[in-house]
Amino acid sequence: MTDARVEVSAESRSVRISLSGEIDLANAAAVEDEIREAVSNQPVIVSVDLTDLNYMDSAGVRILFTLASRLQALRITLELIVPPGSSTRRLIELSGFESLAALKPAGP
Amino acid sequence: MGYALLVSTPGEPSDTPAADDYRLRRIESVTDAALAHLDVEDLLGELLDRVRELLEVDTATVLLLDSSCQQLVATAARGIEAVVRQGIRIPMGKGFAGRVAAEKSPVIIEQVDHTNVLYPFFREHGICSLLGVPLLISGTVIGVLHVGTLAPRRFTDDDVSLLQIVADRVALATQSRRAEVDRAAAVVLQRSLLPARLPVVPGLEIAARYVPAENGGVSGDWYDVFTLPSGWLCVVIGDVVGRGLVAADVMGRLRSVLRGYALLGGDPAEVLGRLDQQVQHFDPETMATLLLAMFEPSFGRLHLSSAGHPPPVLALPGQPAVLLDVPSDHPVGVPGGLRRRATTITVPPGALLCFYTDGLVESRNTSLNVGLDRLCGSVVAGPVDSVCAEIMARLVGDDPAGDDVAILALRRQDSGEIGPLDLVMPALPWSLRDIRFAVRRWLSAVGAAPRTVADLLVAVGEASTNAVEHAYGPGGGTVSVHLELQMPDVLATVRDTGRWRPPRGENRGRGTMFMRNCSDDLRIDHSPTGTNVVIRRRLGEEAPR
Repeated sequence: MTDARVEVSAESRSVRISLSGEIDLANAAAVEDEIREAVSNQPVIVSVDLTDLNYMDSAGVRILFTLASRLQALRITLELIVPPGSSTRRLIELSGFESLAALKPAGP
Repeated sequence: MGYALLVSTPGEPSDTPAADDYRLRRIESVTDAALAHLDVEDLLGELLDRVRELLEVDTATVLLLDSSCQQLVATAARGIEAVVRQGIRIPMGKGFAGRVAAEKSPVIIEQVDHTNVLYPFFREHGICSLLGVPLLISGTVIGVLHVGTLAPRRFTDDDVSLLQIVADRVALATQSRRAEVDRAAAVVLQRSLLPARLPVVPGLEIAARYVPAENGGVSGDWYDVFTLPSGWLCVVIGDVVGRGLVAADVMGRLRSVLRGYALLGGDPAEVLGRLDQQVQHFDPETMATLLLAMFEPSFGRLHLSSAGHPPPVLALPGQPAVLLDVPSDHPVGVPGGLRRRATTITVPPGALLCFYTDGLVESRNTSLNVGLDRLCGSVVAGPVDSVCAEIMARLVGDDPAGDDVAILALRRQDSGEIGPLDLVMPALPWSLRDIRFAVRRWLSAVGAAPRTVADLLVAVGEASTNAVEHAYGPGGGTVSVHLELQMPDVLATVRDTGRWRPPRGENRGRGTMFMRNCSDDLRIDHSPTGTNVVIRRRLGEEAPR
């Protein structure tokens, strides 16, 4: 079974979600559930850190799109931390995700 | 009949010689022929029935010595079956049976009371008189045979002699049957623990030989080769001190525990450290030498740690083989050792490594150094099977093996030697991870550039996901992945035998778009018999469109 970890650190106005491991069709639904539970309607900004994600394909990108549209409706800002040159970064760029969220090279 | 001589002690009253002869022939028929096919327990039961009849007694019991705890364990009984069912154990030297065993001579009790038996058992069952004789194998006690009567009985010397003859036969039969069972169990155990088929790993050629010592039964030599989810490949060779079933059992435990600890991660020194800690706590009697080697997923580097095990041999293409300079730390199970060390070596394509146990290089006739020189002289960076054959021919030859010999040879293949990868997996979501694992390993073995690896993982992943998600109905099916080199490209084919449902949802289009962008050329052929996705991608560093 594909393994991914979803780690959440929440502060009053921001939530940081770090994804590590791999995401594919086998675990996408589970990862999506964990992310959904992590985000309440309180924060102003949600950052998703993909630095330690070893593999992701369209199943993972779809999670990000779903999250982005939900946060847009809640007027919560989304940013993605994704290292330049990584495979994950390329897929996100290819999918046109940049119009929905800021891509940052590294976390604070 | 020679047996009559054994019982007719001079001056002793007995029945007619013809009657003795008759008795003995019955014993003989029971011990030698008719029961050859029975296991120890059944054999004992049958013998006890006969003894009961022969001596006209009410109970007959065999207790066998469990040497590990110096207790006599009721193993078979007639007339008082409860002693076996209740698992009666008598400490050596205690009670009636314990006295027979400790004194190694017959004991007679005419009237059972609380002073001469350990448990109230006999009295509760109304047993009045007892006769016990030791089961002896070349002077060593392996158990006790005793008979009892409900009515008071004065056992005669004749009874004693007769029972002792039966006891000797019981002892022999038990001993030989036990040894046979032990040997068979140890062989089965060891065979089941050595990997029957070594893992097939693209990029590595692996071969092994294991030959048990000729007359000592099995010992605790073992080897193991397994991959970790991270793509690392672990190689273990070890030697448990001791022989037989016990050593084989310890080896089995070490093997499982080591696999478990390897799964937790860490370098080989850390893994051996955990194993050592475990052994010292739970198996303090155990000592083993072993070598743990862990290949990085690319096979380009090897990390090793040795627990008192002889160093492996490394042969590079076109060069004489050498012993690897691996610092040898204390064997596993030895308390008070210092910290364990790990060594890292580079393994260029074509290089061969040979792991072995000391039985290969140490023998009565040759010294260790001569053995090691001879080993290095036999190893070349060539096909692993012929290297193993050459080693066995030159180091073992025609001599009977005095000790177990285990060898394991691994050669890193040149990228040109690596054949295509063929996988057939169930079209289920959890196959995707296994497909990625195999594809990643194959690509790194053929020397694909990191970008190529990342792109092909996505392209093959998306094609496989489509087969999993869209090709089949509830009956399911398979997805086949084929990778081959067509220099300068890698050609990947992902095939299913179903019919894709019409595309639905935004995500579906995205998957195909990723596939297209991650390949230099992409063809998707749908037909009534299935779908073929053919992905072509440069092996070397060259960005696609």
